[in-house]
Amino acid sequence: MKGKEKPFAFRGKFFIALAFVVYVVVFFFDQQLGLLALQKSGRILLKILPVFAVVILFTAFLNYVLKPKQLVKHLGEESGVKGLCIALISGVLSHGPMYAWYPLIEDLRGHGVKDSLIVVFFYARAIKLPFLPLMIDYFGLIFTLSLSFFILTGALLQGWIVGQLERM
Amino acid sequence: MAGPEKEKRKLPKPSFPQILKKTSLAFLAMIPMLVSIIGLVGLLQVTVSPERLSSVFSGNALTDTLVGTLSGAVAQGNPVVSYLLGGELLAQGISLYAVSAFILSWVTLGFIHLPVEAEVLGFRFTLYRNVSAFFITMLVAVLSSFTVQALT
Repeated sequence: MKGKEKPFAFRGKFFIALAFVVYVVVFFFDQQLGLLALQKSGRILLKILPVFAVVILFTAFLNYVLKPKQLVKHLGEESGVKGLCIALISGVLSHGPMYAWYPLIEDLRGHGVKDSLIVVFFYARAIKLPFLPLMIDYFGLIFTLSLSFFILTGALLQGWIVGQLERM
Repeated sequence: MAGPEKEKRKLPKPSFPQILKKTSLAFLAMIPMLVSIIGLVGLLQVTVSPERLSSVFSGNALTDTLVGTLSGAVAQGNPVVSYLLGGELLAQGISLYAVSAFILSWVTLGFIHLPVEAEVLGFRFTLYRNVSAFFITMLVAVLSSFTVQALT
């Protein structure tokens, strides 16, 4: 835990203002489209609320059980193959949209988790375990297996590339 | 035990409810960003239809892979929707290279939340992650489609 705590303040007021302006423009030209978009957004929000709850609980749990030193040991500069495996597996197991994970990732980075592992985590998320049967049904077993294999390879490659860029 | 002068004063470990409260507040502070992304994703989903999407592909495998990556990066939503759209694109004769790139960039890239990603995780990280993900997505799409063609 760091010394002084920042006072609470909402972040991203500019983005919410931008989205508001976009909706005002849409409503001005096509009210029905605007309503449909609002309904759709409401459904998306309801669907990912449980994911947000899981992310909050998971972040709090990690902060409770792991000290920053331990996190750095497992996912920091000297983490090696173990860190890569943790990033790959947690990426594959994670659920929900990418942006739902930003708060946790920001927190982990603040504790010293290296960027290349975060990149590996984000790319490995392309494998969606619960949807694999559906993917096999649509695109076949060979496609699903080869895509999954190359996603994992691509995640490691991207982690390596970002690691090299960070050193420049 | 070491002498009291040497013993460091340790702060009591915060309880789980205290940490949970702190985490919840940090998350709450990000609500405007998340709501704006969700609002724009919802708008995009009702604007882009499969017919409109298939019209952006030309039939050339190389350029279609690029277009597939770009359109997947712009479109957002549940991965299941990308499979449905991908299946529909395949049925309309769009190449597997393009469809693979489309369903992959759907989950690895996200143009809509780029500004928020940059705000939360930093501009340099966002630039490195997205540019490398863009090229790797095309590479993965080409390699997996090529493997399928070689094995079937």
